[in-house]
This record gives sequence, C-alpha cells and structure tokens, in this order.
Amino acid sequence: MTALERVSQYVVWFIAGFTVIFLMTPLVVTVAVSFGSSTVFTLPPPDWSLRWYERLAGMRGLLPALVVSLQIAAVSTAVAMVLGTLCAIALVRGRFPGRETISTFLVSPLMLPGLVIGIAMLQGFKAMGLRDVYASLLVAHVVITLPYVVRTVVGALSLFDFSLIDAARTLGCSYSAALTRVLVPSLAPAFLTSGMFAFLASMDNYPISMFFTDAWTKTLPIQMLQYVEERPDPTIAAISAGLVLLAIVALVIGDRLVGLRKLADF
Amino acid sequence: MTTKAAPSAWRDPVALLAAPAVIYLLVVYAFPLLWLFMKSLTGPGGLTIQPYVSFLSDPFNWRVIGNTLRVAAWVTVVCFLIGYPAAFALARAGAVLQIVMLISIILPLSVGAVVKAFAWQIVLRRDGIVSQTLVGLGLWDEPQRLLFTETGLVLGAANIFLPFMILPIYSVVKLIDPRLSEAGATLGATPLYRFSHVTLPLTLPGIVSGVAFVFSMSVSMFVIPSLLIGDRFQTLSTLTGRSFLLMRNEQLGSTTAVILLVLAVSIVVGSTWLARRIGGSST
Amino acid sequence: MPPDSSTSDSFLDVAGAEKAFGGVTVLGGVDLQVAAGEFISLLGPSGCGKTTLLRIVAGLLAADRGAIRLDGEDIGARPPHRRDVGVVFQNYALFPHLTVAENIAFGLKARKHPAAEIAPTVQRFLELVHLTDFADRSVRALSGGQQQRVAVARALAVQPKLLLLDEPFSALDRKLRENMQIELRRLLRELGITAVFVTHDQDEALTMSDRIAVMNKGAIEQLDVPSTIYRSPATAFVLEFVGLSSRLSGTVVGQDHDQVVVDTAFGPLRAPGSFVAGASVVLAVRPERIKVNAPGDYALVGRLRDAVFQGSKIQLHFETQGSDQLMVETADLSDGLPPPGTEMRLGWAVADTLIYPAP
Repeated sequence: MTALERVSQYVVWFIAGFTVIFLMTPLVVTVAVSFGSSTVFTLPPPDWSLRWYERLAGMRGLLPALVVSLQIAAVSTAVAMVLGTLCAIALVRGRFPGRETISTFLVSPLMLPGLVIGIAMLQGFKAMGLRDVYASLLVAHVVITLPYVVRTVVGALSLFDFSLIDAARTLGCSYSAALTRVLVPSLAPAFLTSGMFAFLASMDNYPISMFFTDAWTKTLPIQMLQYVEERPDPTIAAISAGLVLLAIVALVIGDRLVGLRKLADF
Repeated sequence: MTTKAAPSAWRDPVALLAAPAVIYLLVVYAFPLLWLFMKSLTGPGGLTIQPYVSFLSDPFNWRVIGNTLRVAAWVTVVCFLIGYPAAFALARAGAVLQIVMLISIILPLSVGAVVKAFAWQIVLRRDGIVSQTLVGLGLWDEPQRLLFTETGLVLGAANIFLPFMILPIYSVVKLIDPRLSEAGATLGATPLYRFSHVTLPLTLPGIVSGVAFVFSMSVSMFVIPSLLIGDRFQTLSTLTGRSFLLMRNEQLGSTTAVILLVLAVSIVVGSTWLARRIGGSST
Repeated sequence: MPPDSSTSDSFLDVAGAEKAFGGVTVLGGVDLQVAAGEFISLLGPSGCGKTTLLRIVAGLLAADRGAIRLDGEDIGARPPHRRDVGVVFQNYALFPHLTVAENIAFGLKARKHPAAEIAPTVQRFLELVHLTDFADRSVRALSGGQQQRVAVARALAVQPKLLLLDEPFSALDRKLRENMQIELRRLLRELGITAVFVTHDQDEALTMSDRIAVMNKGAIEQLDVPSTIYRSPATAFVLEFVGLSSRLSGTVVGQDHDQVVVDTAFGPLRAPGSFVAGASVVLAVRPERIKVNAPGDYALVGRLRDAVFQGSKIQLHFETQGSDQLMVETADLSDGLPPPGTEMRLGWAVADTLIYPAP
C-alpha cells in the first residue's frame, strides 16, 4: 500500500511539474525577452537591459490606448456590478419560473464566439443609430463583464446561509441593518474579486473590441496587435510584462480576499 | 418567510431586480445576434439560404471548415491528454504544490489572448524554447520553426486553453469521495478496475464540460491563429474577421459568422444535454 | 459459542499492531484473535484506535509494526483488493453512478465471477436484505436504512472471509438500528461469515457480539464475552464505559483472607481481592445489584437526592461526597417514587463488589 502511495506521489509531482512549466513558459519567456537587450527574440538574451521599458514612454499611441482601456474597463465593470448584483439577488432569492434560462442567458456571452458577438453588435448598433465609437465600446464591454459578475455573485449568494440574517434580527438588528452588517461583509470578498476579474476580462478583450475602433479610439489589445504587425520587437514584450504584473496583483488581492481555491471554482 | 407555492413573476417583486440586466442584454446582445441571423437569411428577394448554398458549394470553404474543426479537435485532444492527469495531480497535490499549480492555471487566464498569443510567437520560433528543448532532448536533429505551422498552432492554442480543461475536471474530481475507491478495493477491484469503473464514470460531467469549453473556444479563436499561423491558413473565424475588416465583404462575413454561431450554440446545447443525461445517474 | 480464543491458529490473528500519526501513538501493540464465524465488537470512545485497527486489517492503512494472518495466510503485505476482507463503511460509500443491483454486483464483476452466476447471486442478496423491488433504482433515491442494507449486501455478495463494519448503524434512528442489528446477525450466521464490528455504542456491542474488545487509547483493555465484560469489568475504564455503576472511593485499611477492607465515606466496606494497606482504591457496584430496604451483606444508610422514573425501572440517586456516586436501579415500583430526602437502607453482596486502583 505504501509502495503504491510513494509511486503515485512521484507521478503526481511529475505531472504537476510538467503542467506548471507548460503553462508558465509563455509568460516567463515574454518577461525574460522584455528584459533582454537584443531586438530579436533570442533566449537567453545576450545582455540584460531595460531599453524596451524605456521605449514605452515614447511609443506612439500607447498611452491613449492604455487610458481608453482603463476607462472602458472601469466604467463597464461598475455598470456590470450594479446590474449583475441586482440580477444575482433575483436569481438566488426569487421564486419565479425561468430562473435557470435567465441564468444561462446571462452567462452565454462567455460561451459564444466573441467575434460573432462583435459583428452582430457592430451591425446592430448601427441599425439602432449608435455611431459613436467610444460609446459603442462601452456598451459592448458591459456585455463582456456582466457574465463574470453574475456568475460569481450568484455563486457567493448561493453559499450564504440566510438564517444568519434571521439570527441577526433576533438579536436586535433591523432587516436592512442585518443585511449591511452580515450579508455585505460576507459577500464583499467575492464581490470585489468578481469585479477585478471582470475588469481584467475587459482589458484583455480583443474579438469584440476590434470592431469598435477608429483613429482616436483604440483599446490596448488592439494597439498591441498593431505594434506586432508594424514592428515586432521586444517593446511589446514589455507591455505584456506590464499586463502580467497587473494580473499578478489581481491574483494576490484575490487570494487575500477569497483564497486561491475559491478563485478556481468553475 | 412564506412557504406558499412559487408565485409567477408578476407576483414576486424580487424578480424585478433581474429586469435591468436582462433587458440590457436583450437589447444590446440578443437582438443584434438575432438581427445578424435574420439578415443572413434575407436576400433581395426575401427569405433565402442562397448565401449559405453558395458558401457551401465552394470547395475552398469546405477546406476552411475542415481546418477549423480539425484544429479544434486536435487542440481538444491535446488539452485532454494533459489536462485530465493534471486535474488529478491538482486534487492529490500537497498544499504547496497545489498553490503553485493553481497560480500557474489562473494567472494565464487573467492575462488575455493577445499577450499569450504573442508569447507563443516568441516560443515557437526556430530559435525558440520549444525548438531548443526538443533538440536538447534528442527528438529533433536540428532546430525547426513551429511558427506558422499547424502543429505550432495546436500547441499554442492547447497551452492557452488548458486551464479551461483542467478546472472543470478538477472541480468534479475534488468532489469524489475517497471512500468509494476504498470500497472498490475491499470488494476485490484492482486499481485499474477501480479507475475505469468508479473514478472515470464519476468524472464524466467534468470531462464533458471541459471538452465543450475547449472545443468551443478553439472553433471560435481568432487572435491566436492570426498571430501563430498567418493568412495562408484560414479558419471560419479568421475568414470572418478578414471578410469584415479587410475584404469589406459583409455578406460573406455574415454567413460565416452565423455558421460559427450555430456551431457554438450546438456545442453548448449538446454538452448541456449530455451533462444532464450523465448527471442523472451519477453525483 | 465462542471457542477458546487463545489458540494461535485463530481465523483472524492480529499480532502487535502499532500505528502512530505524527508522533501520536494511535495503536500501541494490539493483539486480537477472532475465531471463524465469530462476531467481535471493537468498543470504545472516539480516538481509541478502533477504526484505525479496522482499516489496518482491511489493508486501507499500513501498520507501523505488527502481523496480520487470516485463515492461516499472512495478509499484512497484501493490498486491500487481494485480502478477501469486506468492509461496510460508516457513510455506506455506495457508488452513486450505479443502481442498487449494479452496486451489489460490483465485487462479483471485479473479481471476474462467471457472468451466468452474477445475476442469481445479486438476486439472492437482494432478497436477503429485502430490497428486490429496488434493484434498478439509483442508490441516491434510497433512505438511510435502505442504503445501509445495500452496503451490507454488496459487501456480503462476494462472500469475503472476513467482514469489517465501521459504525454502520450510527446514522440510523433507534428503531431502525435495532432492526438492522437483528437482521445483520441473522445474515452473518446464515452465511457463516466472521465479523469485526466497530462501535462506540455499548448497548449495540452488548446486544450483537459473541465477544467484545473494549478499547481505550490505542489498547484493548478487556476482551471477553458480554456478560463477563458487564459483570466483571477488568479496569475502571471498562466499568465506566459499559453500563452504569455506583462508585465509592476509599483507602485500604486491612486484608481479611481473600477480601480487602476499605474505609469509605459510608464506613468500612469489603471487596474480593487483595491490595496493599493504605492504597487508594475505588469500589464499584452495578446499580441493579444494590437492594433497597432488604437484607444484604451491608446496611448502608443513604439519603435520596433524586428518583428518576424510567418506565420499567426506577433509578435512585443518593447524596454522596466528592467524586463518589451512589445509585440504585430497581424494578420494584410498588411503593411509587420516594421524595428527595428520604433515608433508605441499601445493601449488596460482597461478591458483587468491584475494586480498582484509584485513577
């Protein structure tokens, strides 16, 4: 029995090691290249340097694209959190028919090809008279962020023990006070984490955003792709490294708030 | 609270809270999709499937569809072969190893397709890490370029979609009662028999979920093939993108977009149905 | 009835089983011998090591030291699927993706029994546990008692040499539990299968077992037939864990042939045995051996503190000092419940007195 246990431990370590290396390689390579001195993407680089990061400041269009991405992500996430939380409450606490259908409907943007959604929105918005690129981006990104919020908040609410609210009320809280003092703190971590990952999803989105762009309005991924096509050099790796850093920060905050295992709940 | 029978939506005020989100999506998301679908079936003379007929009569387009499905199938297979054992390893790992694995799974998810696709561009080059490793292991005689090849595309996409195979399977494996395998052992089942007759059937819902996710995303992927394989190799997605952005052929783009949509929806519906059928007889 | 348990060719022979988890000793060198066809209970509080011992015998856990022989063969090195030891788990561990019949058939199929024999065997065991109508039902739709019966049928269908049961009835309500206890004994006798049954419920152990092993802190404190365990508990722990008792602490003042004289709060009392003068001891008697207002070897006067009506009997609790406990059980209800404060004369036989070193 213990011999089998020992062998399976080695196997676990082997598979785990392979998987970790396999998954992390692209990110590690990108970050490594960004600190290299050569214009070609060779590894290991001949020398270490920060030149690509220094070039970032001078990249035409980078800052505006970053600003656009951040703004769109922030606003669309905020809107999604409001709409999504209200909806999640209805889905978990409500007793009306069609809850499961509505739930699937709300999460469906994650399952369908972003490209197709983008095309449909492009033509649909035009037909409805919405021509402003920035506004269209905003409207579209709420559709991207909403599923993340709904799914996470529904999950957290389903796990919440509502008898705690009753207990608080028997101890003297009014209904709204009970909600504020019991429900909100309990839900806050999941709430904030869902907001963070919705934000990231909006920042990273390409297939939908690529239809809503003009000379003045570009999101960061679109700008990055343009750089790749125009002049591929490790500056793009530097931008990527920046995004990786952002993701690491989000991961650390998420772990502090709800723990890594909860983040992995699919 | 009340314990009456479920009231209809009209009597349950809580239901109204869902209204803003639902209405928003209906207007901004569902309606445009429907509009796209309807428009693709409407020609100058009314309802027609002519665009589809002409699309499907062109052998080039069949190659495009074939490319799409073939690559998606390969990506799914590779993801499954790596992801299924990985999900078990994740479930059996000690605390530290589990955290390391979870980070390596969730971090790439949070980074986005463009960054990852670009990263794989670097990795797949002739002098890239994959090439160097394979030469070092003796599997290759000389460094080769994997970029702009189908193999490279499959490898890159499998890497990017792997978390979507691991996590659903892991969430199911987590729930399997270890006592079940013990019970099987006490009944005289060998470890292999226990795996094939107890563990595997119980992980089936996770497998269906993971396969559906990965296959669906592989069929729809746009950025990854654009960066990793270029224009000579067309999938339904890249064809759609090119139609709209480069060729300005909205008719073609709409047709391929709807085909993609129908494919994606059937995968979702099919997997949900399958999951429900299996779910009826297991955990 | 149970044969002489000291033969070294017992059907199940566990010798010197030791197990420690992270420096904490869970089993400290346990020996257990079970004869073929016997029903033995491992009785003890949680943490005493009974489940650990069970899992070691089943092969689900490796002992740090010790040998296990079953039917003459050394099975200590064998993995569980080659030990021919069946287990009924506390949470049943039924395969949720299989029907009742498929669960029962699992072991038969896994052991590659001839296909033609499997269906009749499954049918036979379905009948034995009265679940024939449930053959094709999913196990998740069953009640706790029904699931329990499937678990038992599944384990028995392969006719293992030894059946281990880990508190299988703990989740059932009392009436159901009592029924299941009778059913199980009947089944095991009919099939002639040896069983080791783990429980923390002393009534269950007393009812079902040919012999009981009372365990505490990783050791067997007494292994004997139920009546002996009850009437002559070997240690203070067994005394307290099995059944109720009156306990009076005292000091040994003298020895009179084969009886010690002990000075207690109620005066000098005697017990069979021999102790050094001056030793601190505890005297004990089972409550039903104490007679009220009737002649006995003693005449103690006790002041009643509480009278508890229990249906077929009354428990009388008397005022005592310190950690002493004096209680009497009597079925004589003719006088009704006496009020607290009543003084009553109590007596019992010296032969019924038990004596232990003070803890």
